[in-house]
Amino acid sequence: MSGHGVPRVSAADDTRDAQKEQKKIEEYRTIVDLVNAKIAEREYTLEVLSLTEKVLKKNPEYYTVWNYRRLILQFHIETALTNNHDASISQDQPSDGRSPAQDTIHNLLTWDLSFIIPLLMQFPKCYWIWKYRLWLLSRATDLLPASWPKSLWNKELELVSKMLARDERNFHGWGYRRTIIASLEKIAQEGGDGESNMVEQEFEYTTRMIKSNLSNFSAWHNRSKLIPRLLDERGANNEDRRDMLDSEFSLIQEAMTDPDNQSVFFYHQFLMSTLSPTNPRHAAIALDLTNTDRVAIYEREIENIKELLEDFDDCKLIYQILLQYTKEYLDFEAGNKTVTTAEMREWLAQLRKLDFLRNGRWNDVERDLGL
Amino acid sequence: MSKPTPAESCSPPSQPAQALPDELHLLVEQHVQYVRSLDTRKDEYEYWLTEHLRLNGLYWGLTAVHLLGQPDALPRREVIDFVFSCVHENGGFGAAPGHDTHMLYTVSAVQIIATLDAFDELEERVDGGRKTVGKFIASLQERDTGTFAGDEWGETDTRFLYGALNALSLLHLLHLVDMDKAVEHIQACENFDGGYGTGPGAESHAGQVFTCLAALSIAGRLDLVDRDRLGGWLSDRQLPNGGLNGRPEKKEDVCYSWWVGSSLAMIDRLHWIDSNKLAKFILQSQDPDRGGITDRPGDMVDVYHTVFGLAGLSLIKHPGLMEVDPV
Repeated sequence: MSGHGVPRVSAADDTRDAQKEQKKIEEYRTIVDLVNAKIAEREYTLEVLSLTEKVLKKNPEYYTVWNYRRLILQFHIETALTNNHDASISQDQPSDGRSPAQDTIHNLLTWDLSFIIPLLMQFPKCYWIWKYRLWLLSRATDLLPASWPKSLWNKELELVSKMLARDERNFHGWGYRRTIIASLEKIAQEGGDGESNMVEQEFEYTTRMIKSNLSNFSAWHNRSKLIPRLLDERGANNEDRRDMLDSEFSLIQEAMTDPDNQSVFFYHQFLMSTLSPTNPRHAAIALDLTNTDRVAIYEREIENIKELLEDFDDCKLIYQILLQYTKEYLDFEAGNKTVTTAEMREWLAQLRKLDFLRNGRWNDVERDLGL
Repeated sequence: MSKPTPAESCSPPSQPAQALPDELHLLVEQHVQYVRSLDTRKDEYEYWLTEHLRLNGLYWGLTAVHLLGQPDALPRREVIDFVFSCVHENGGFGAAPGHDTHMLYTVSAVQIIATLDAFDELEERVDGGRKTVGKFIASLQERDTGTFAGDEWGETDTRFLYGALNALSLLHLLHLVDMDKAVEHIQACENFDGGYGTGPGAESHAGQVFTCLAALSIAGRLDLVDRDRLGGWLSDRQLPNGGLNGRPEKKEDVCYSWWVGSSLAMIDRLHWIDSNKLAKFILQSQDPDRGGITDRPGDMVDVYHTVFGLAGLSLIKHPGLMEVDPV
């Protein structure tokens, strides 16, 4: 989208040179017209492939041209496979598992994967580039012996780590990372070597990302998705699961020192959300909690958060969370020895004062809590 | 989109709109002029670089002038001719003539056809008409997961799922897809914060929340939504300057006025944000000289932010705009 974060130039200050602009347009249209004409004639040559490159460097959003690259590569892949077959090299492959066709395919795909890297670095939010990259990798996975795609996917893991180091919230990057992991696990499960279960290592990755920046909600989010799976993969028993819940609570307790850091509070909300007895297994941590356990955890956490008010009595998020947890706590039909009506009214009054943008919401909270 | 909204809410009733500073009232004429100018910019490089968005852009521009109460500002016949110049034999549409088919453009085409009530033309100009288009869209549903791909090359995303249901509902062909599977997929995309991402496992994002809620709304399954939890997350998107962001700890952007605002409206929580401050933020993002709306004050305008800014204003019943349907 052209307008994202591009400073406005007023009509009077617009110094774009009409002639230069015209020249740029002509160059661009000439190359686009040429590529379109070649593809219309089904001229799927490597020369045309490099023509598409020229277009994409100027305009990586031109999705049809990415499709042209696919058509050209498909053509060369099929040609390689046919030639291989015609040369009637027997089905017994050489011991290194490579046929000439596979060599050709590997070269085509790896060459293209390298070509895109600078474009991806320059346009890290362009959907079409990520999509095209995944297509190349899926072709490699379908057509080549497992050790090759495995090494390609591993390189992607390095690449995406680099991308996420540059922009730790890029959701394309996080989604891509999840796909890489799933693909590597699948290759291992289907008999290739490697880890058939990389959840531990990904869990560690989120720990590192969080430690370098507590505000990285994308990392916290990923962690929230990994924990239930991690426990299943570990074959964790009830005690292990309770331990995990406790250690996550301690981790977040340590991190809750800066109330402006919203991500930390959101993760706390995640931990509390896992307590609900109606949660499906993929959104739960401890599986054998009794109502008494839940009440105890709510009481402990509400007390902990109340303590934060001593230092941060102007943090609206704290009041908001206290009211949310209190409502959930009361839903467990606890005897309620933890929160008084006077306290709730005070929190609500603070919220109205600190956060008047959401006054309509606080009206509903007041009604729901019968305050 | 039906009737003009009564002049109420944002500007104080006792004060005539003209008395407000320029940036605080809606520049209707400038915006209409801006949209009309979009197809006359062939001397700008940017025009050519954005060809892959042409059909979307046309839908956004058309919707903008409809919201501004000037539906005839774009010539109906030319718009329709352009739409049908993008259709392929398989019933899908590309972004512009010669561009490949994709869900994104097919949905825009159907939305334009519905806006201009050009269903008769669809039957005349496309072999098999509505049914061919419907079949193309339905063919992109993944049978095992229920989600939708954008085209034959695979990428799936809840954006495409919503687009498919939206277009098929306008074509009265929802029966062509497996709705239960689609709903199941949306549920698999739900996160602990009540929001939804591009697919299962992905972080909540306001744009994707809109697509998932609107899809559930078309499916008649908004009962599956945890309204208070999601409403809380959505309302937390409003920042002190009145603008909305798309994810926690990100910058505000005018387009989220629509993605967040309409999502809140769908779950009856629009009153959980401050409409007056939102209106002010959007109005400050107008370009007073050349019309159009930008992502945030001071940036370059584009038609995408223009339509979603206007739609956001319409949602909160800003005077001078036609009413918009959140879905």
